[in-house]
Amino acid sequence: MVKFYSSTDTYPYPFPAVTLAYFLRYPNPYSTHVISTDTIARHFDPDTQRLTTIRLHLKRSKLPSAVTKLLPRSLLGASATGDTQSYILEKSVVDVKEGWMDTESRNLEWTGVLSVVERQIFRRPVPDVPDNIKVFQGMEGAARRHGFLNFGGSGAGVKVGVDLNGETTDVESSVTLHSHVGETWRKKRLAASEGSSSSEEEQPQKVGFLRSWGTAALQRNIEKIGLTRTLRSQPNAREGMKVVLERMREGGLVGVLEGMRKDREAILQGRDLLKDGPTRADEE
Amino acid sequence: MSASLAPECNQVKERYDNCFLKWYSEKFLRGAATTDECDPLFKQYEKCLSKVLNDRGIDKMVKEAREDNRENDAEHLKPKR
Repeated sequence: MVKFYSSTDTYPYPFPAVTLAYFLRYPNPYSTHVISTDTIARHFDPDTQRLTTIRLHLKRSKLPSAVTKLLPRSLLGASATGDTQSYILEKSVVDVKEGWMDTESRNLEWTGVLSVVERQIFRRPVPDVPDNIKVFQGMEGAARRHGFLNFGGSGAGVKVGVDLNGETTDVESSVTLHSHVGETWRKKRLAASEGSSSSEEEQPQKVGFLRSWGTAALQRNIEKIGLTRTLRSQPNAREGMKVVLERMREGGLVGVLEGMRKDREAILQGRDLLKDGPTRADEE
Repeated sequence: MSASLAPECNQVKERYDNCFLKWYSEKFLRGAATTDECDPLFKQYEKCLSKVLNDRGIDKMVKEAREDNRENDAEHLKPKR
């Protein structure tokens, strides 16, 4: 049984800016639960002009009480209140020539309990104009993007680049949730019943606990809880990207970095970055 | 900039991140990149981080996750057209 979520969206920003914002999306006021982000591998292929990046994020999360009730805490490694940390592995490939960025994020731990794979594909829309005009607009667009993405650029002039060219980026998001809980134990049990020597001592408690639920029902429930959290966290992820893109439009890359610095300070001091909203620390 | 998992790597991470962002926005996004110019800085950052990843057993988890998805990765990376 697999739960699936998908959506499409359009950002009112040019494709290169969106890819940069993706790399710079943490921290932002909607992601105060993200503790760290590290690049663990990166490869640039000069022939295809593609860039592959693997990053590791550490997030603070709170397990829903529904999950802590379903599974023994010893299995989840969380505190009594459900506070825990989780590693997320993110892979992305950017093809700037063809105008797409393909990203995938997955949890590294507890994948047996619930594996969550989030995929986002960003695309530069194919312009609906004749080729000769396209070439001209492409050159003009590139010049504007230059200003927009100027490393040392100040706010002035940068804004014009985005507002006037009217470029957009399409994004397709999907989340797949899959619980395998109980499956390894079931396999072990089968192996044991076939007469092979398996570790008897660790079985009685787990089997008893699972039997009370039924493996399929337990998996369904865990996937359902995961989906509920996904639905709740998606708007925050979108808002976070929008904040980063807005900062880029206002102040270029310097503006984004300055915003990140302030967010990071606020997070360290435990201040809520969304003045009117509830604390986001426990959001996915 | 985002923080590193290992506070002792923050400085070298920031140096690398700054280099990458400059290269990415000024070269890569304009289709003008010929090599990854920040690779020497990445190697320093990687060296610092690998110790922590190893100590906490994260490198093993990452390796397993990537092996599990090797087929998926091949699909992911193959040319689209």
